[in-house]
Amino acid sequence: MTFFFQNVVNALQYGSFYALIALGYSMVYSILMLFNFAHGDIFMTGAYIGFGVATGLTVLAAAGTIVLPNWLILVLTILIAMFLTSMLGMLVERLGYRPLRDAPRASAAITGMMIGLILEYGNLLLLGPQRRSFPRLIQTVTYDVGGVILTNKKIMIVAVSMVLMYALHLFISRTRWGLAMRAMAFDHVVVPLMGVPINTIARLTFALGSALAAVAGIFFGLAYPVLDPYMGIVFGWKAFVAAILGGRGSVMGATIAGFMLGFIEIFVAMVFPSTLRDLIAYSIILGILVFRPHGLFGEAYSARLRL
Amino acid sequence: MANDMLSGTPPAGALRSSWRRLTAPVPLMGWLLGSLGAALLELAAGGAVAGLLGLDKIPLLFGFLIAFKQPLAIPGVLAYDILVYLLPVLLVGRLSAPPVNRLVAALYRLPLVVSVLVHLGLLYAALHLWSGVSDYRVLMLNLMLIAIMLTLSLNLINGYMGEFSCSHPGFMALGAYAASIFSLVLFVDDRIFGQALLPAAAGPWLFPVALVAGGAMAAVGALVIAIPSFRTRGDYLAIISLAFLFIVKSMIENLELVGGPRGLGGQPGYAGLTTVFIWCVLCIWIINNFVRSTLGKALNAVRDDELAAEAMTIDTRRTKMTAFMFGAFWAGIAGGLYAHVLQHVTPASFDLRMLAEMLAMVYFGGLNSVYGSIVGALSLSVLSEALRPLELIKWIFIPLLLILVMIFRPRGLIAFKEFNVRDIVKPKA
Amino acid sequence: MRKGLLFVLALLVVGLALAPCAGAAPKVIKIGINAPLTGDIPKVGEESKYAAQMWLEDLKAAGGINVGGKKIPVEVIIEDNESKAESAVKAATKLIKQDEVLAIVGPQASKQAIPAGGVANENKTPLISPWSTNPDTTKDRPFVFRGCFLDPFQGPVVANFITEEFGFKKAAVLYDVASDYPKGLAEVFKAAWEKLHGAGSVVAYESFTTKDADFSSQLTKIIQAGAEVLFTPQYYNEVPLIVQQAHELGFKGPIVGSDSWGSPETTKLCGAECSGLFFSTHYAAAGATGATKAFIDRFQKAYGYEPADVAALTWDSLRIVQKAIESANLTGDIVKDRQAVRDAMAKIQEFEGITGKMTFTEEGDPIKCAVIVRISDKGEFEFYKSACP
Repeated sequence: MTFFFQNVVNALQYGSFYALIALGYSMVYSILMLFNFAHGDIFMTGAYIGFGVATGLTVLAAAGTIVLPNWLILVLTILIAMFLTSMLGMLVERLGYRPLRDAPRASAAITGMMIGLILEYGNLLLLGPQRRSFPRLIQTVTYDVGGVILTNKKIMIVAVSMVLMYALHLFISRTRWGLAMRAMAFDHVVVPLMGVPINTIARLTFALGSALAAVAGIFFGLAYPVLDPYMGIVFGWKAFVAAILGGRGSVMGATIAGFMLGFIEIFVAMVFPSTLRDLIAYSIILGILVFRPHGLFGEAYSARLRL
Repeated sequence: MANDMLSGTPPAGALRSSWRRLTAPVPLMGWLLGSLGAALLELAAGGAVAGLLGLDKIPLLFGFLIAFKQPLAIPGVLAYDILVYLLPVLLVGRLSAPPVNRLVAALYRLPLVVSVLVHLGLLYAALHLWSGVSDYRVLMLNLMLIAIMLTLSLNLINGYMGEFSCSHPGFMALGAYAASIFSLVLFVDDRIFGQALLPAAAGPWLFPVALVAGGAMAAVGALVIAIPSFRTRGDYLAIISLAFLFIVKSMIENLELVGGPRGLGGQPGYAGLTTVFIWCVLCIWIINNFVRSTLGKALNAVRDDELAAEAMTIDTRRTKMTAFMFGAFWAGIAGGLYAHVLQHVTPASFDLRMLAEMLAMVYFGGLNSVYGSIVGALSLSVLSEALRPLELIKWIFIPLLLILVMIFRPRGLIAFKEFNVRDIVKPKA
Repeated sequence: MRKGLLFVLALLVVGLALAPCAGAAPKVIKIGINAPLTGDIPKVGEESKYAAQMWLEDLKAAGGINVGGKKIPVEVIIEDNESKAESAVKAATKLIKQDEVLAIVGPQASKQAIPAGGVANENKTPLISPWSTNPDTTKDRPFVFRGCFLDPFQGPVVANFITEEFGFKKAAVLYDVASDYPKGLAEVFKAAWEKLHGAGSVVAYESFTTKDADFSSQLTKIIQAGAEVLFTPQYYNEVPLIVQQAHELGFKGPIVGSDSWGSPETTKLCGAECSGLFFSTHYAAAGATGATKAFIDRFQKAYGYEPADVAALTWDSLRIVQKAIESANLTGDIVKDRQAVRDAMAKIQEFEGITGKMTFTEEGDPIKCAVIVRISDKGEFEFYKSACP
């Protein structure tokens, strides 16, 4: 039994990353009907920005220039990285996606992939091919709850992710901006005609999604402290799976699908030989879509879904 | 403009119109003859010209590979390109235009097949001579022709039918492995499959069977996506196809019989330039006929509005199934050729990076267009190879270029254009 | 139109005038490097490139390779294989056909080394892969060599070491199923361990896929199975994650690795978590003496970091090529010279490299000793034990 619960804990942490990244993906996807294939690399850039800020602050604190406890460094890192990464997201939107808003959606998908490549290789050019070690800002404390091992990092990651997701949910469902976003998701031809500023909404969508990706990046750095320029590729594509599995028009669906993807991968590796993990996990995803052709929480098929 | 005037060269407009006047009367065959002439010239005197221009050897890829590493050689390379390629092509093409036009017109009155075969023969001869200089060119041409097949077959699904399929590397892997196993079991004494069952001499003759087996394997694999596509469409189908790619890769990694992640090697070298060229031409010809047939038009109807298509008595299920299986079949053939060209395959090659490259070729070249696929595959392959000496910069330059193309031509370079063979082989003037 | 032609002709004349006159080319020895400068493993490419540059500096300083009492200048041509199989084949073909290199060093990873080795063998050009451990790379290929040992050797070394050192009976393995090197080594280790301790003594045999970062499910299974020791033949980017997660999940036993751990990046990324762990490798950086130490110090000084095994192996491979060239009878005819270099390389009985002393088998694989290295508390690789076949 502890074995089972241990894996639930593992899956919760792992699923948090998928969920946080899938949220940004799903927002762009639901509201602007675009595949943002650069999102995985925005996540990577967020992690590197977090790495830069955290390293800088740690060095300053160690030198005694400023007095900062580690937790404050972490909070500052998260805030600064969220800000910078959302700027990057808006820049990507402005340069790569806005000129293509009326183009076929697949063209924007290609642009996204190419922006991703530029981010990856720009990083390689700037920082060189060495992997980077994320500063260990939190001393790991391990708790043993009836045989299930928890660490303070795991608890923090899962808790903060859930709080952020709930905050986003409130933002989308309670505020005027959220209303505008939902309206845009409902129809992005008529709604702009009714006075909703589509460019502002698009910028906001990218900014929010990128900020969440930055948080995911920093948490990733805390949990798995090895950063490399390609770390966003696989996460990006899997978050793409989660975002669409959640269903179009359902941002919260992406959260659940993200956690579900984490659970499927962890539990398949638990029950079956782990060599077959991808084979079985993705057969399950394929099966889900065969029986629920519109994702978990998506609206029924409509012509608007076409590329 | 003003600058042009000052420096004494003719203004751009005049240059362009004189260029047009120069080239207008030359039919395709004239250009092919010119290329043949250039290739012959290179074969006969390329080394001497290169030596005269201070180059060690004949530049293999129009000098790109040298130019980035030794900027001093750039004038020599430029002069070589002009002397050996540009001038002969222009001269032969232009001077031979009147008689060649009469010849083309005579051929044109015969069945179309005759003209097409003559043109293809000339093209092949030019390619053969050009690549005869070095194995490097042969390899590059082979991979380029394979890229054309892949792009074209992916365009069938993504362009003509309008789905966003991410499974093409998976189909290719199925074809590559199936064809490799066929060759290895039958014709090669090999560690995994033991003694050859048939004499090795029969191998090249049965190679088409191996390729078709690979294609068939891929087509059967495509059923995994085609059947869900009856109900699941658009974005949801995109992730079904992505899941399929992950599944295929994971399956091959787990199959010890075919080498697992170590891959499968030792395929006999049946895939020479001739073979790949013939298969590529077959692929273009068949797919071009397919998309111009009723079934092909049905694909477009399904893309534009499935319900309306259904109302117009189109069997949408059959259409989708055919498109997926047909596209996968050609991806499988291309995979089989790829395996025999490289003589080794690993599952790691068929990854997300390959997917991104294929998608880029399709959307760069142009949706719904055989022309576009050929142009996209050729230009990106050449560009990618020519810029390889730039290392990291290449991976920033090419994406930037693609983004610009997408912004200014969102549907790709040559989208929605019919590939009309009759027009292409027509005499001019 | 006439103006246009004149313009072109004028250009030509200028081009011809500018181009330097062709003379008898100075006789140089060209060595090709086929390395993954871009793509999945750019770090490996960079270190190969740096090692080659250092080698070239040495030869430049010496005035060239000493062949039969005559110094011949050397040129190194580095081609990027983008960490892709087809690009590696293209790069090898270009090096052989266009640049007419005498010998090729690389590609490093087996995925590229196997197909590129095929090209080299067909074109009768000696190729040495410093890093590829897959048997297929050199199998039935007289012109292909390698600078590192094969998987089948390292597995038993580690299994014996754990048994002698700790006396454990139950081991677990965690490896990357999509990468041929870890997978091969994992299999060999499993077989060796079960030979020592009976079937079923590898209590957990778990895997993941390249670029995974979370191993919690597999490690939970390993702990559940009651393994006393964990063997993980992974690369330096995964090792810190595996070690850290294993410790966080409560794994108390030692974690043992293979030569792929042997990069200073491992301890840089891993920190204190990795101290006290063991792995088998070609050479130990800390406590290295003589030529090995000189190489490490020089590399560090020139490029700012300690070289990993791939740099040391590339260096050794280049030196093997150099030794072969020095003892070969060069004629100036590239075809004959390649054959001569190949023959000389196959004849090398013993080679004193910075990664150890080695001799070559019929297949072109070296026989050399492995060392067991302990990661010290300061994060240095300390020599612990040596094991010879």
